[in-house]
Amino acid sequence: MLRILPKNSNYFVNSQFLFLRHSSSAPAAATNEKNKEIANYADKKRIKKGSKKIPNDFRFKYQDFLPSPTARYRNSLLEKLMRKDMLERRSQVHIPEFYVGSILKVTISDPHSQGKTNSFVGICTQREYTGLCTRITLRNVIDHQGIDVAYDIYDPLIQKIEVLKLEKRLDDRMLYLRDALPEYSTVDVNMEPELLAEGAPVPVNETIVKMKPLPWMQKWERKELKGIENLDQYLNLWRKQQREKQATPWEKYDLMKEYRRTIPEEQQNKIFSEIFDRINKINEEHKIKAKAARRTITKPQNIR
Amino acid sequence: MVGKPLKSLGYAEVTKLMSELKVPVLPRHRNLSSPLGPEGRINKLRQTVTALVKYERIELFHNRADEARGYVERLVSDARRYGDQNKEMMEMASYWLLEKQLVHKLFKVICPRFHDTFDGPFTTAYNAPRKYPSETERKQYFKRVVLELKGHPFPPLLPQASYQGKYLIHNVLLDAAMKDYYQEKKLNAMQNKKEEVTESVDEEKELDNQIKE
Repeated sequence: MLRILPKNSNYFVNSQFLFLRHSSSAPAAATNEKNKEIANYADKKRIKKGSKKIPNDFRFKYQDFLPSPTARYRNSLLEKLMRKDMLERRSQVHIPEFYVGSILKVTISDPHSQGKTNSFVGICTQREYTGLCTRITLRNVIDHQGIDVAYDIYDPLIQKIEVLKLEKRLDDRMLYLRDALPEYSTVDVNMEPELLAEGAPVPVNETIVKMKPLPWMQKWERKELKGIENLDQYLNLWRKQQREKQATPWEKYDLMKEYRRTIPEEQQNKIFSEIFDRINKINEEHKIKAKAARRTITKPQNIR
Repeated sequence: MVGKPLKSLGYAEVTKLMSELKVPVLPRHRNLSSPLGPEGRINKLRQTVTALVKYERIELFHNRADEARGYVERLVSDARRYGDQNKEMMEMASYWLLEKQLVHKLFKVICPRFHDTFDGPFTTAYNAPRKYPSETERKQYFKRVVLELKGHPFPPLLPQASYQGKYLIHNVLLDAAMKDYYQEKKLNAMQNKKEEVTESVDEEKELDNQIKE
């Protein structure tokens, strides 16, 4: 009997109907499954053995687990040992998710007076280095004096890191707050934490700052920053000309430069699938501890 | 290590995801000398990338070929990853490919050429022979390379494995010569036998004649 294949049908999937003449019931469900298998084949092959399905925002949350992309300083053993130490430190102190622009409170034990602690509240203006050396800078204005404090977040002196307000800003580095008007880097020291719903996307704070008049610490006009409003107001003609002269508009198309600054996806997946289970476990433990602490505070004793 | 941060441990940028390249990547770029500086370097590379996508097989100096190879690899792998609906990807493709029809070629011809699971290098590079240096062209004595996109329609540069031994021209000729040689040898042997037989017959006749006499 002649049978013409419909044009749109996938020949390789449907061909079993043509060749299995004696099979009494060719299961329709099986073909669907086979279709699905073919569709998922690419995904399955991409995910190599031993790796897990890693959430998309994991690389932003745990950026410090990724090694430095500079080829000269890559060392697989060093990276592995660092990751192990970082996980151990994280099991002692909860290091929450935060970004440049979020407001943090860091409590550190004071090396000069035993048994006492210092704490500082400020906006996170930059993240430096990676691995165990990860360092953040907090900025605040206290008594009309701008203060920047740098903390190594894996420092054993650190007692507690709290996120008072989780948000992102328009730029990845906000050192220009040093030359901005003080109102933009002032934070209430006794601020209470603002809670976000779990799984909600991190909000982006789109405030644009105003700068103080010259002199500035750096040539901010050359850095293509999105978060500054009145740059041109203070620049003279020579400085404007220099900005145009020194501009490198081709740099954003330089694919290999971009590649040399990142860790490719395969390597990221390998690293994150290694720490995935452990870090989820640590986070859950910290959550339980925090709940228990809250419960003890909310029950005041009756005074006779 | 804490408290004494190494400057080398600068963090990796993670905003854009990209797949690992299967070709060797140098830790630092090459400065292709140009009066325009870094911009001139990029312009040179744009021309090479465009030529490779257009002709699919080009011969050029090793320095520039190796530098351009990474850019082509990334362009193809990104085009496969993001597709032609992505605005940034289209901008990138139209920057690197100087002719507009080549952008269509990248998404409609070159990307579908590779199976979804194929991650490997999309280009091949062969070492080509150098020019022999003369007094006038002493500077031209650089390594040369043939770069090609995989799956191109041209005949292969390297001999195929099936043609390696048996069907090479000198082996075919040698086989034929050997065949001829042995056939000749056989024929000679046959002829010798016949001659022997006839000789023996003659001898017998002579003997008979002698007896009769």
